[in-house]
Amino acid sequence: MNLRVVVANLFVKLMSVYREKTAMFFTIAFPIILILVFGTIFMSQDNVEYHLCVQDLDQSNLSAQSLKSMQKDGKFKITMVSPDINAAQYIRDKKVNLVMVIPKGFERSLTQRVMLSDLKASVTITYVYDPSSSSVPTKIQILNAVLAGINQKISGKPPVILSVEKSILTRKYRFIEFFVPGIIAMAVMSLSLFGTVNLNTELRQKGIIRKLSTTPITRTDWILSDILYQFIIALVSTTAMLLVSYAVFDISLNIDAWLLVFILLDVFAFVGIGMILTRFAREAQSAAAAANAISFPMMFLSGSFFPIELMPGFLQTISKILPLYYVNEGLRAAMVFEDNMTALRCSVIIGAFASVVFILGILATKWEEGK
Amino acid sequence: MTEVTEYVIEVDKLTKRYGDLLAVNDISFTVNKGEVFALLGPNGAGKTTTVEIMDTIRTPTSGKVTLLGMDVTKNKHDIVHRIGVLPQGFSSFDRITVRETLQYYSRLFSGMKSDVDGLIELVNLKDKAKEQYKNLSGGLRQRLGIAIALVNNPEVVFLDEPTTGLDPRARREVWEVLQGLKKKGKTVILTTHYMEEAELLADTVAIISKGEIIAMGPPGELIKNNTNYLVLTLQSGDESVFGVVHKMGFEPVLSNHKDIKVRVEHTDDVLKILNAIRDAGALYRGLDVRNPNLEEVFLKMTGEALLVDSVGGKGKE
Ligand SMILES: Nc1ncnc2c1ncn2[C@@H]1O[C@H](COP(=O)(O)OP(=O)(O)OP(=O)(O)O)[C@@H](O)[C@H]1O
Ligand SMILES: [Mg+2]
Repeated sequence: MNLRVVVANLFVKLMSVYREKTAMFFTIAFPIILILVFGTIFMSQDNVEYHLCVQDLDQSNLSAQSLKSMQKDGKFKITMVSPDINAAQYIRDKKVNLVMVIPKGFERSLTQRVMLSDLKASVTITYVYDPSSSSVPTKIQILNAVLAGINQKISGKPPVILSVEKSILTRKYRFIEFFVPGIIAMAVMSLSLFGTVNLNTELRQKGIIRKLSTTPITRTDWILSDILYQFIIALVSTTAMLLVSYAVFDISLNIDAWLLVFILLDVFAFVGIGMILTRFAREAQSAAAAANAISFPMMFLSGSFFPIELMPGFLQTISKILPLYYVNEGLRAAMVFEDNMTALRCSVIIGAFASVVFILGILATKWEEGK
Repeated sequence: MTEVTEYVIEVDKLTKRYGDLLAVNDISFTVNKGEVFALLGPNGAGKTTTVEIMDTIRTPTSGKVTLLGMDVTKNKHDIVHRIGVLPQGFSSFDRITVRETLQYYSRLFSGMKSDVDGLIELVNLKDKAKEQYKNLSGGLRQRLGIAIALVNNPEVVFLDEPTTGLDPRARREVWEVLQGLKKKGKTVILTTHYMEEAELLADTVAIISKGEIIAMGPPGELIKNNTNYLVLTLQSGDESVFGVVHKMGFEPVLSNHKDIKVRVEHTDDVLKILNAIRDAGALYRGLDVRNPNLEEVFLKMTGEALLVDSVGGKGKE
């Protein structure tokens, strides 16, 4: 190995992307856009907060207090509707789907019931809603549960059946925190695979490979500089993804040496596959097509975008033979669950795979053309 | 140098097959030190195949190439330090500047101190040193390619079609660079399908056709030995000129849609033809009598034209 040669190669490759600003921007922006789009879509599922319109016809202290405590629960974001407006008309005009109406006499009836134990005193809350809206049933269900809780409290007796939620995780995780490691794994795969295929076919077309074969550069120097280059690009891209995720979604992930290990193994595995593809696909287009054919199903089947548990059994079996699956699992184990044993197991599997394809890739890389 | 027998390159019974295709068929030749050796031939003749076996890019099916005393198939590692190669259709990294490109290639030859500025000057790219490759015109790219081939100060330089696709002016500028190499005493192996290029630059020309060398020697000698006629060109003659010449028993050829070329054996024939044209009342704008060139040698040997612009043989019948 000749360090001077490796550095010279690295310089040329890094300069080439650095000066190709638009291409570099889109390469780095693509996974970030995925994170932003999916993160925004799923954010609302993490933090279910319903928008609720309330018309308080009672305008009493007690009604105001009840609403405040509902809002504090965090489930609802409440908008007050003026008591002079017709609720149905309001729904039509403002394009909202439900207005909860607190009747006149709310405070009086409740006081009667609680203070005087007058069992005949009761309050009827009205939901005025638009039946064409699909989220209305869920909203009503939640509201009913809240009201049941209030009823229970007012009755003054402790509940008979209690429930406790116990997550298998020590902490509550948000979807975005599962998603980001998957996107990192996928982005590094694409960068390494397409980067290698595109670069090598381009250099072959330019005659640079033939030229290099008449210089003292060795295959090892060449491949080593390629790996280093792809690793640097992967690090830049990962850093950008993490920065955006922290800034926009305020994620909380565990970042340690495992992240570097998995990025490196991901790079090795897919640079290796890229080298094999460039060797056997003669034309640039067929190499790129082959890279697509490999990476596209891998993205969807290996659990980068959604948990493989959602897929039918036979697809799950397929998932478990895909190398990207182990990068995903390993990265999640390290970054989300802080489960070192799983991370280790995954890194061994992907490491073994990477070694095999990388050696095959080295063997497949030839200087000579049309022997 | 007294050791005339000490060849820089010896090609011995070289053959290359691609499947069923016989691309190079049992060719042998030698190249002397400091010589510019040109392989002249049409597309698909086997020039690149021959050169790329000599410069270690490809391997032969059979036969042997000895370069600087070493077998090219066995000593690639030592040979690459002593040769410089410009492959056919070579282009460099788009976004890298002229100077950076030369620095890059010279770093590949570690231990060698290359004079990047000197090379830039040699190929006349001084005011383009900071220009990225993608902004260079074809001629400048080829000149850079030649400079790249020189970064390790090689003894033997291989240039595969360095002027193909260039306009006449850019081609002349490349020729100037090549003449500079010759002055520096480099041994140069050049392939081309332009006969003027071979005639102008080469000490020895090997005319190659269908994988075989059909004639070889200094260009002047090749012409003298293979042709014994003159070429008369009548410019912009009207159609009857062609008929008059044809009727006299010569074989006129129409080139460029307007010039009529005729092979004649003596200057007397020129007068006879001119008289006949005058008597017939036909017209032409100008005339020119010259010695034949390599183009005509090629034509005589193969019965085929190297380029469209040629004379005699299977012209118009
Ligand atoms: N790698 C290869 N595989 C198969 N056939 C090849 C290969 N390289 C060249 N050939 C064939 O061998 C013959 C000689 O090709 P070569 O490239 O040596 O010719 P050339 O004289 O350099 O032509 P050109 O002027 O077009 O460059 C051609 O018929 C060509 O199609
Ligand atoms: Mg060629």
